[in-house]
Amino acid sequence: MVKKRRRARKGSYMTRKQNRLGYFFMSPWILGFLVFTLFPFLMTIYLSFCSVSSTIKGYEISFIGLDNYYTAFFRNTEFVPALLSFLSMVVPYTFIIIVVSFILAYLLNKIKTGRTIMRIIYFLPIIILSGPVMSQILDSADEAITLSQGVSEVYKSIWIFRILYSYSPTFTLFLEEIFDQLSMILWFTGIPIVLFISTLQRINHSLYEAAYIDGANEWQVLWKVTVPMAKPTALVASIFTIVQLGSYDTSDIYGLIKAATNNTATGLGYAATYAWLYGIMVLLVIGAAFLIFRERKPKAVVL
Amino acid sequence: MSKKKREGRWRRLRAVPGKIIIYFVLICIGFVYLEPILEMIAKAMMSAQDIVDPSVTWIPKTWSFDNLRIAAQVLKLEVTLRNSILFSGGLALAQTIVSAMTAYALSRFDFKGKRFWFVMIILTFIMPVPVLMVPRLMMLVTAQTATGIQLVGTVIPQAAMAILGQGVYSAVLILIFYTSFNMIPRVLDEAAEIDGASAWRVFWSIVVRISGSTILVVFLFSFVWNWNETYITSTLLRGNLPLLPAKLNLFNSEFESAASAVGGAFRLNEAYKMSATLISISPLVLLYVFVQRKFIQGIENTGITGE
Repeated sequence: MVKKRRRARKGSYMTRKQNRLGYFFMSPWILGFLVFTLFPFLMTIYLSFCSVSSTIKGYEISFIGLDNYYTAFFRNTEFVPALLSFLSMVVPYTFIIIVVSFILAYLLNKIKTGRTIMRIIYFLPIIILSGPVMSQILDSADEAITLSQGVSEVYKSIWIFRILYSYSPTFTLFLEEIFDQLSMILWFTGIPIVLFISTLQRINHSLYEAAYIDGANEWQVLWKVTVPMAKPTALVASIFTIVQLGSYDTSDIYGLIKAATNNTATGLGYAATYAWLYGIMVLLVIGAAFLIFRERKPKAVVL
Repeated sequence: MSKKKREGRWRRLRAVPGKIIIYFVLICIGFVYLEPILEMIAKAMMSAQDIVDPSVTWIPKTWSFDNLRIAAQVLKLEVTLRNSILFSGGLALAQTIVSAMTAYALSRFDFKGKRFWFVMIILTFIMPVPVLMVPRLMMLVTAQTATGIQLVGTVIPQAAMAILGQGVYSAVLILIFYTSFNMIPRVLDEAAEIDGASAWRVFWSIVVRISGSTILVVFLFSFVWNWNETYITSTLLRGNLPLLPAKLNLFNSEFESAASAVGGAFRLNEAYKMSATLISISPLVLLYVFVQRKFIQGIENTGITGE
């Protein structure tokens, strides 16, 4: 009896201590979260329905309903195309980045000699990837193309593009765009490669051995063991990629948001609407990635 | 015995073509990776004639280091470099400390609502920054008029955000620390606790001391991300503190104005632009060259996969 009660009291003391210390160490983050993330997030949603005018006394906020949204979609001719161009960039880019980075991580994991130098090269983009650098490089690439003869002319000299072009011109143009920016796309693979490599290294070796004993060849092992094991990482990597592409601040949509933030005539409510619609877009894309890569639980046999 | 040996050798021999293909692919793609940088270096060394000369693509006919000198002048290198290092370094230090603390709380204590806060940390990572910027700006302006202290256009807002764990990609830094702290055996903490150490002391004298390589990785990531971040900086700092990446963003217009001040002899060309870009990435590349071994090891050991 006595022992039991004492244990119970001790337990409650321990939980109280755990709570106290946990919140002690978390407190800076929680404070920052409330002030700089949660409050602004709710405020943005509210502001997107408001018109904000700055006066000498401070901000004057008045509720105007869906007017900002109406303006964004129907009155402004730049917003919807910018949003769509962002979407048409982020979806294929993410797909390519994930596939390419998985292949590269797989190959980088296979080699032994020259491993360090390869990794130095492949991790380099993590360091230098930034908006201004990218825009300068893209700028110069564009200029080089206009100096020579234009994108499609370059690719038309390659026979496979000519064949494709006769089937579907739009698809070929899309492919051309991808190849044109291949270096740029590849630069986003830095972090996903890191993620995939660390997953591949953690796969249990006995899984491979078991597969080989059962007579699987390398190709089958890749598809039946390595790919399924790397799938959860693909989710993390794709979310990371989308977030990185989403914070790539030289896209058109960022320009619009920045311009609206600095424009005192239309007001900050309008900027909030832009930002909020953009945010919804990014979150939707992330949600789609989540649906594609999530693990389907109800399979009883786990290898 | 010898049969087995022969089989082993045969196996290794059979793997050779595969290896060659792997190296071939890796080297080719590695070239695609490096191509923009190599091109940048080549163009930075070219004279104005070489840039427009179609017969020159990689190796300039006349080497010229003037481009770099002039680009450095336009970028105001001495000032901006120092500013950028101090700015990114300071923010990175604050972010490192606070993410270590948060990760320690999550990894060691079983407090109420832990799962909730964990989910919130992930959500802060997913949340696109522009969504938060307008109210942040309004908040700061309101606080500014209320207290009379200049906030927008100074480093204070970003410093506060970094200290309170809302800096650039803070959630990732927390996750890196979290996985690495989970790998430290709890026996160490318990031993110290029995010896009478407080939780803070366990954190500071044991957990922090052990995870040196993780701290380095987190600091470097944070440094690099703060360095390359331009959206928040341009909104909150407004160019009041000249930083290297921000100056690169404005390079084209700044060059024009500087050139018109000197006289019509200068014209903006690729060589100047590429020199400026090269200058602005070189501090990071230098840093990377010095710490790459620790950096790569740290990345691989700690694993930034957030399970």
